[in-house]
Amino acid sequence: MIDIVTALLMAAVLAGTPLLLGALGEILTEKSGNLNLGVEGMMFMGAITGLIGSYCYEQALTAAGIVPNGVISALVALTVSFLAGAFGALIYAFLTITLRANQNVTGLILTIFGTGFGNFFGEYFGLAAGGYVAVSSVTKAAFSPLHIPLLSEIPILGKLLFQYNWMVYFAIALALGMFWFFRVSRFGLNLRAVGEDPAAADAAGINVSRYRYLATVIGGGICGIGGMYMSMVTTSGVWVHGCVTGYGWLAVALVIFATWSPLRGILVAIIFGGLMIMRMYVSIPGLPAQIYDMVPYVATILVLIITSVRQSKEHAMPAGCGLNYFREER
Amino acid sequence: MKKFLALVVSFALAAMMLVGCGAPASQETEAPAAPPEGDADAGAAITAETIKIGFVHVSDPSDMGYTYNHDQGTQAMQQALGLRDDQIINKFNVPEGAECDTALRELVDAGCNIIFATSFGFEDYVKEVAAEYPDVQFCHATGYQAAIEGLPNFHNYFASIFEARYLAGIAAGLKTQTGKLGYVAAFPFAEVISGYTAFYLGAKSVNPDVTMDIMYTNSWNDPTVESQVAKALIERGCDVISQHSDSTAPATTAEENGVWQVGYNNDMIPAAPKASLISARIDWGIYVTEAVQALIAGEKIPVDWCRGLADGAVYLSPLNTEIAAEGTKEAIDDASAKIISGELHVFSGPLTGEGVDFDGNPVSIDLPEGDYYHEQEETSAPSWNYIVPGCTVVE
Repeated sequence: MIDIVTALLMAAVLAGTPLLLGALGEILTEKSGNLNLGVEGMMFMGAITGLIGSYCYEQALTAAGIVPNGVISALVALTVSFLAGAFGALIYAFLTITLRANQNVTGLILTIFGTGFGNFFGEYFGLAAGGYVAVSSVTKAAFSPLHIPLLSEIPILGKLLFQYNWMVYFAIALALGMFWFFRVSRFGLNLRAVGEDPAAADAAGINVSRYRYLATVIGGGICGIGGMYMSMVTTSGVWVHGCVTGYGWLAVALVIFATWSPLRGILVAIIFGGLMIMRMYVSIPGLPAQIYDMVPYVATILVLIITSVRQSKEHAMPAGCGLNYFREER
Repeated sequence: MKKFLALVVSFALAAMMLVGCGAPASQETEAPAAPPEGDADAGAAITAETIKIGFVHVSDPSDMGYTYNHDQGTQAMQQALGLRDDQIINKFNVPEGAECDTALRELVDAGCNIIFATSFGFEDYVKEVAAEYPDVQFCHATGYQAAIEGLPNFHNYFASIFEARYLAGIAAGLKTQTGKLGYVAAFPFAEVISGYTAFYLGAKSVNPDVTMDIMYTNSWNDPTVESQVAKALIERGCDVISQHSDSTAPATTAEENGVWQVGYNNDMIPAAPKASLISARIDWGIYVTEAVQALIAGEKIPVDWCRGLADGAVYLSPLNTEIAAEGTKEAIDDASAKIISGELHVFSGPLTGEGVDFDGNPVSIDLPEGDYYHEQEETSAPSWNYIVPGCTVVE
């Protein structure tokens, strides 16, 4: 029994991590007042570029006769996927902040664009590489579960806490950092002001456009890293057509479920991850698999209903979210 | 405000154009040659120079599994018949839905004389389009409806993969230490059930106490779920994982968790050198070449085509001798010779099993000693639909 619970929790954390990264990026974006629905697109862009980045790094070094280093390869994937996600978000930011295009429409376009971008380049590089793009075992090892001496060997606890790949710890550290950022730091408080009431923030001397640009672009980069998790960890460094499909939207749902709090995001990501893999560990006779697949979405709808009935100001979407700021209309 | 709206609309249109170009369902690797020559001389005989061949695949060769393996068959055919690249049009990543209908019609419009659809769920669409275009030949892999429909241009083909799976099961049965195998299965259909039962019976033939857990992914190709299911099976104590799913994810998951794996469709040793023992494969090239040749020669393409081990239509990838149990090669060679000579039948009595038919009614089978189930002898599609004792479906 305890073995099943441990296994379920571990699998839930692994399945929840890409969702957490996507949701963290979106929380940062929405806190600035931009509702970027292009999470899935940015995740796709990060997924393919991260993989290609590592692949090209390995190919270049191997061609030069040098043995590639797994850590550097992982850092290349991290950097490149961040830049790709940030690039996607930059398009969005330019359209909505500078040109004041409709945020929902722009976000949806970004989703469609990113999906095509990922699958096109995945297939392109696959054909160029003679079949499929896959990273070598050096990079695979860099993304496989860590083994920390002593800590990983503690019974149960060691398995539950100290046997994940580094990206899991990276995501949790990022969530904690973001929690501190919104709560304590001056920049974080300014950013929240921009998201709640840009006019008031503007009057207080905060540069609304700069804050929105930075938050959106960095948020997009974090979404890109979430996509990279899918191509490097979930599919073990092999490009698989459509490997991010559905995850970006789940991440958007997770933001609502977490009520825009990075800390609650960790918990909710584990719950979402758990719901996705639950049927493989806990079997309820006669319940079709499709019902399990629906549960995360049903849960999100319930949370939306509950939060809107309670009308709690603390757990609500930032008041300025989804609205473009026209200084001239103050 | 008007300006702003115009801007939004123009960007939306631009994006739609991009989507139109890059829509995954209609990506083509080979651009169709400008004017289809077939149109000008529609009634004229088809020659190796003019023939055009279309393929509809559920994923693309980057799966390194099912579609990759079928594409290898396409390439073998192209080489054998000396065809040009522009005579073959591939439609990759076509979902098993209305997109398949579109893909088939696009291939017909591009002037294809023969179209191969390679996934089970394409069959209904193939049937429909085949009835509308009697001049084009349609071949559907793994299906069962061609014989029922009786259309002259609609054919089914498959290979007796159960024979190769039985042999691959021997490698698993000899290797397992926990006595428990795990199977990542796509759907609860006869094609899948026949495959894992054969695999299990192969393992049981060398290891009488072995049991097997089966878990469904409900998808042909979803690497995320495949790896999650493989992980769950390993947690249940399974130490050899096999699969009826398209990707290498079960192999890489097995390797990551220090257990072994038996593959399908492709030699998976490069993907997981420390885990993959052997793989059961189909050589699609034999059928694809025969069917195209028959069309060029003006001969009939068989309604149901199925060949097995004896003809090389199914075979095993090289055994990973570094990790396989001692005596595996000998045991497999021995059983293989007996299957080819007809001395050994995979589904032979005494054997009992229970299952459900298409309408959900319970069915059962009880084969007496000396009798055997005539799998894939009358139709190309597998029909064994029974769960045998020792196999547990986890749901």
